[in-house]
Amino acid sequence: MDMHQIIFGVYPYIALVTFILGSWIRFDHEQYTWKSDSSQLLSKTYMRFASNVFHIGILGIFFGHLVGMLTPHSVFLAMGISDAAHQGIAIFAGGIFGLMVILGGVILWLRRLFNKRVRAASRWMDINILGWLILTACVGFSTIFWSVGHAEHKDFTVMIRLTEYVQSVVMLQANPELIRNIDPVYKLHMFFGLSVFLFFPFTRLVHIWSAPIGYLFRAYQIVRAKRV
Amino acid sequence: MSHFLDRLTYFTHPKESFSDGHGVKTIEDRQWEDSYRNRWRHDKVVRSTHGVNCTGGCSWKIFVKNGLVSFEMQQTDYPRTRDDMPNHEPRGCQRGASFSWYLYSPHRIKHPMIRGRLLDLYRAEKKSGKDPVEAWAAIQADTAKRDKYVKVRGLGGFVRTSWDEVLEITAAANIHTIQKWGPDRIYGFSPIPAMSMISYAAGSRYLSLIGAACGSFYDWYCDLPIGSPQTWGEQTDVPESADWYNSTYIIIAGANLPMTRTPDAHFAIETRYKGTKIVSMSPDYAEFCKFADLWMPIRQGTDSAAFMAMAHVALKEFYIQKQDPYFQEYARKYTDLPMQVMLRPHDNGYVSDRNLRASDFSGNLNESNNPEWKTIGFDESSGQFVAPNGSIGFRWGEEGKWNLLERSAGTDTHLELTAQGKAGTEVVSVGFPHFAHGEPDLLFRNVPARRVKLADGSEALVASVFDLLVSQYGVDRGLGGPNVASSYDDASCAYTPAWAEKVTGVKRADIERTGREFADNASKTKGKSMVIMGAAINHWYHHDQSYRSIMNLLHLCGCVGQSGGGWAHYVGQEKLRPQAGWAPIAFGLDWHRPPRHQNSTSYWYFHTDQWRYETVKPDQLLSPAGKGRNKGYSLADYNVVSTRLGWLPSNPHFNKNPLELATDAAKAGATDEASVAQYVAGQLKSGALDMAFADPDNPINWPRNLIVWRGNLIGTSAKGHEYFLKHLLGAQNGVLQEGGVGNDCKEVNWIDEAPAGKLDLMVDINFRLNSTGAYADIILPTATWYEKHDLNTTDMHPFIHPLAEAVSPGWESKSDWQIFKALAKKFSSLAGKHLGVRKDVVSLPMQHDSPFELAQPFGEVKDWKRGDCDPIPGKTMPIIKVVERDYAQTYSKFIGLGPLMTKIGNNIKGIDWNTEQEYKELASLNRTVTEPGVSFGMPSLEEDIAVCDSVMRMAPETNGEVAHKSWTALSKKTGLDHHHLYEGRHEDKITFRDIQAQPRKIITAPTWSGIESEKVSYTAGYTNIHEHIPFRTLTGRAHFYQDHEWMLDFGEGFCCFRPPVDMQEHKKVPASVTSGPHLVLSWITPHSKWGIHSSYQDNLRMLNLFRGGPYFWISEEDAKSVGIADNDWVEAVNANGATVARAVVSQRVPRGMALMYHAQEKNVNVPGSPTTGKRGGILNSVTRVVVKPTHMIGGYAQLSYSFNYYGPVGSNRDEVVVVRKIADQDVDWLERPLTPAREAQRNPVGIGTK
Repeated sequence: MDMHQIIFGVYPYIALVTFILGSWIRFDHEQYTWKSDSSQLLSKTYMRFASNVFHIGILGIFFGHLVGMLTPHSVFLAMGISDAAHQGIAIFAGGIFGLMVILGGVILWLRRLFNKRVRAASRWMDINILGWLILTACVGFSTIFWSVGHAEHKDFTVMIRLTEYVQSVVMLQANPELIRNIDPVYKLHMFFGLSVFLFFPFTRLVHIWSAPIGYLFRAYQIVRAKRV
Repeated sequence: MSHFLDRLTYFTHPKESFSDGHGVKTIEDRQWEDSYRNRWRHDKVVRSTHGVNCTGGCSWKIFVKNGLVSFEMQQTDYPRTRDDMPNHEPRGCQRGASFSWYLYSPHRIKHPMIRGRLLDLYRAEKKSGKDPVEAWAAIQADTAKRDKYVKVRGLGGFVRTSWDEVLEITAAANIHTIQKWGPDRIYGFSPIPAMSMISYAAGSRYLSLIGAACGSFYDWYCDLPIGSPQTWGEQTDVPESADWYNSTYIIIAGANLPMTRTPDAHFAIETRYKGTKIVSMSPDYAEFCKFADLWMPIRQGTDSAAFMAMAHVALKEFYIQKQDPYFQEYARKYTDLPMQVMLRPHDNGYVSDRNLRASDFSGNLNESNNPEWKTIGFDESSGQFVAPNGSIGFRWGEEGKWNLLERSAGTDTHLELTAQGKAGTEVVSVGFPHFAHGEPDLLFRNVPARRVKLADGSEALVASVFDLLVSQYGVDRGLGGPNVASSYDDASCAYTPAWAEKVTGVKRADIERTGREFADNASKTKGKSMVIMGAAINHWYHHDQSYRSIMNLLHLCGCVGQSGGGWAHYVGQEKLRPQAGWAPIAFGLDWHRPPRHQNSTSYWYFHTDQWRYETVKPDQLLSPAGKGRNKGYSLADYNVVSTRLGWLPSNPHFNKNPLELATDAAKAGATDEASVAQYVAGQLKSGALDMAFADPDNPINWPRNLIVWRGNLIGTSAKGHEYFLKHLLGAQNGVLQEGGVGNDCKEVNWIDEAPAGKLDLMVDINFRLNSTGAYADIILPTATWYEKHDLNTTDMHPFIHPLAEAVSPGWESKSDWQIFKALAKKFSSLAGKHLGVRKDVVSLPMQHDSPFELAQPFGEVKDWKRGDCDPIPGKTMPIIKVVERDYAQTYSKFIGLGPLMTKIGNNIKGIDWNTEQEYKELASLNRTVTEPGVSFGMPSLEEDIAVCDSVMRMAPETNGEVAHKSWTALSKKTGLDHHHLYEGRHEDKITFRDIQAQPRKIITAPTWSGIESEKVSYTAGYTNIHEHIPFRTLTGRAHFYQDHEWMLDFGEGFCCFRPPVDMQEHKKVPASVTSGPHLVLSWITPHSKWGIHSSYQDNLRMLNLFRGGPYFWISEEDAKSVGIADNDWVEAVNANGATVARAVVSQRVPRGMALMYHAQEKNVNVPGSPTTGKRGGILNSVTRVVVKPTHMIGGYAQLSYSFNYYGPVGSNRDEVVVVRKIADQDVDWLERPLTPAREAQRNPVGIGTK
């Protein structure tokens, strides 16, 4: 087993198991830490702009990756979305959302570092995870230059291999060989991205699990009965 | 218990919807709600309270969770007041509610600590084979070694050590001091026992048993309203706050009720709902002003002028224009107004002299007992001078006539108030001392007088106090002559409303109307007019005049002693209700009598060398009307005279160890107490022996050991803080001048080089590290108010309730009782070898409420040192007592209730009773001492609760049987039956467990002048008026007139207006301060909203509420004039030192004053002062205490010393400072290591050692 296999064959499962089990354990044992740790009360400067840009960007990126990577190739074709269109959308949408993440993220990160009140309330991990997300986004954004190159040559194999690889991981049949020969920048981005899952339960990112989507659909009045 | 798995039952959730699907019922997990419930969930609730020096006496619930105090809440279970009145509960304030933070705060002292350098020295000495006492002696004998730890006081350097080691060092220091210098060189200071009386008693019992002196606090804090002992012979007695509700007209002067009497303020507001008018007097727009119907913005320090003018109106309209029958009767029966005063020729007229006495008449008016002490009135029915019942001569040496019935020699009398227009009278011109700036110092006015033939055949002119008083107030009553008011608008005549407007700045119409309304209301309601007064008018040098001016108004209106009327003074006054049961334990009276007591103001005035800087010269204060035999004396001289005449105590007593004095006396053949006293008198007369205060800077007279517990002596309680640092402690200090102006004393020896570092050892016992701890050598951790058993009473409500151990004392701390018990044990183990059994000569002043208050008749000052008389102990000099101390038995005595309780019994305020029954009960209630020693088999005082129960069992307030015995004793004295006062509670016995369950109302006792009853609220003077028990004064009545020679010397025979004294400290500040923009402001230090009484301002919760550090307030206009903006750093400087704080710029404050809240400490956010170069200082860095000779009088009826009752007050409000802005970049936090150069620079640059 070489390094490539360890990173793309074993590491994803370490990251995902940590992500799921870690989140569960934290949710069960440390309920009071299950929160977004918002610093909005400490300082509102740039907050409205940066936080919104960042969050819209990262939600776009998240759902883009989710749909783009996990939808089987055949489904795309059946929906009439050609590989060229797929890659086009990925480059275009990913580029915009990625830029938003970087822009919003950097402002938030600088605020976190240099705003005295926010800095005083920041833990080591708060500073790190935001930096890590920005780095991941930067590397992800830089893949566009390669992807654009591929697209110009009508060569979609890298994209197809990447989605197949991701699907293989999700299907618990990780096949790192699919991506052994792709450009290192993709591998770097994937490594950063996988690591986010690894760090996830130890950071404020857990608030993602508790996104209050239910509020969109809840009844006006909820009566919570006492459990007997 | 899983949060996650519980949620995976989504499909099995029954879901009912209602209201067309707008509502839904679910059974989802609700465990999260428990986090909110748990916040308030607790394991137990314990009743306790707080006490920095809080008068609130609020009972609190202390909630304990997992062995830690989690929060506190007000108790609401006080017994009710009456059906027609609001109740006392709930009590408590935001400060008290924040105390639980303090238990676990960074300020908390957790372990015994000692100055590291001292510990090194001590251990080195011990290692060389010395025993503890020898080791301590070796350190003290070597100046270099001593300096090593003395000079770094206040600069940190504490290390942790064991209880065993610190107690050993403390005990060794005490023993060495007793041996080498004398027990009276050890001093203990702890304030106001009522808030935690057992903790107070712990230290005072230990100190009293070893012969050390305990210092007073009430006078030192300037909370003692000395007008009260002068007028009533009563330290202080005031109504409970509920009685405000019974009033129908209230003037509030200088007491900020909602802010500093938070739990009681509701009564003042509630009484307005039934129509009571409230008038407020305050220079600033203080919080209480907004609850008033009228705010009189009065110039600070001029209160007496306003009240004199109000009384001028009352006198004119209710005594002269018409004679109000209620007022007339009250004045005749309960005041000295009908008493006759002799007139002494002066210039072309007369001045008032002493009261006429029975002894002035031939045959003493048939009064054989104490005729010199029986004052005289003129009986209208017989047309004769008579000696009416109740004067002090009837109090001692006979029984049955010490009462206020209108009788004399068994016959009914009707005393005459005024002689005006009566047959056989004439009108003479009498001079009245006057002190207003720019006005004559003697105002002559016409007074009706009678001629009387004296025993020696000569003739004298006498006038009634009333006739003199009317003239003193400048009221025109048709006798003509100068200096009487043509109208209220006559601004040229002192004490008219127009004149008062000139002095006080208050509109004349307001003064006139208030005076009239106050009197009119009192006339209609029979005395339900009240004045609530406080620190703001009490902390002035001449506050006695402010207070007497109020008391005069109240007495003229018949208000004192009436429910809803009278004075209500609330300044740190606290009521130690079970005082009679407490005192024997607190001062070791069960083993030795008497204990050593000291009035602290004199003590610190001398021992911190503030007298060396004295700018106030008594000659400027004297009146031309006095005899002035002490002209040219300094304030310190007056104090020395006072101690040698047996008026005020002095510790050390003499310039000799009292143990050696006893040995020398024995060698000279003095075998018993009387011959020892003779020996001492002889030594004094020959000059071989002298009073210690006559040479306070001589090392033999220095205080050597100081133990402070429950207080902050060196910080917020140190008027002249920087002088404490410089001379007493030898620490880095900010005194900006050299002593020298005090170098004109006649009675005090001047040593050119002032001592620095008089104390060998200072021990601080506390739970918080404050300025006192910072300057101490040893800090001992004590239990907080939630960690010990103790008792709490107050005068604001009539209940007794406990402090209790809700959690065991944190870290290594112990309760004060256990600390001193352990110290006593250590002391005993070392004392046997070094001290053994010794005789100790104790010098005692002539005490109030004892027969010695009749020591010096007529108020004449006879100084044996000047040859006026011989030194006779107990007559012309202090009483000399001999006490035998078996030092090795100190511990055994500490833990057992001693035999004198059955041999001599107990007493309070001149009433005696036996305690045999209570002694027996305590032996079974608390069990007996089982450790071998002198106390074996005696009632145990080992545990804190046992001590609480011993106090309550022996006090009339908490044991009906004792109430019975004490009232029986008093009934015998007065000849009247007072037993009905406690009827129904004869069988009550209140124990600690009872008050743990619920606060208990106390039982009416003769200790106090009010009663507990279902019909009236507690109010001061009630039994004097309604039971005819005399005031404990010369005449037995409330005094308008003071006839002591020194009173007359200082022109204070009658109350008068005296402007604030000029301390001149602000004129001696460095040019660097005055060269830039600056303000000259009077320095006002009132109580704080955010941390006084029940918590401390350095409590994080309190700091969060305001500026987070020191601050003082100035007015908008003043600030603008020198470019100070809100929150700027500012410095207040005068010759005493400097303090740095942030400016609070507010329209609430008038021009001309800086207002720094009291008790702001040096420990949070205090930078260095650019002027002194030392840590920025505290509110007391710019103050210096100045003593008043009239407060030193003794041996004369109500003007006799008693602990916390009489003695100079530590006034601090007359001070003026220079204020300037400090730029932010000039703020120096002094965060540098201690270098030898810095260590050597103890005084500010350029200031030497004098």
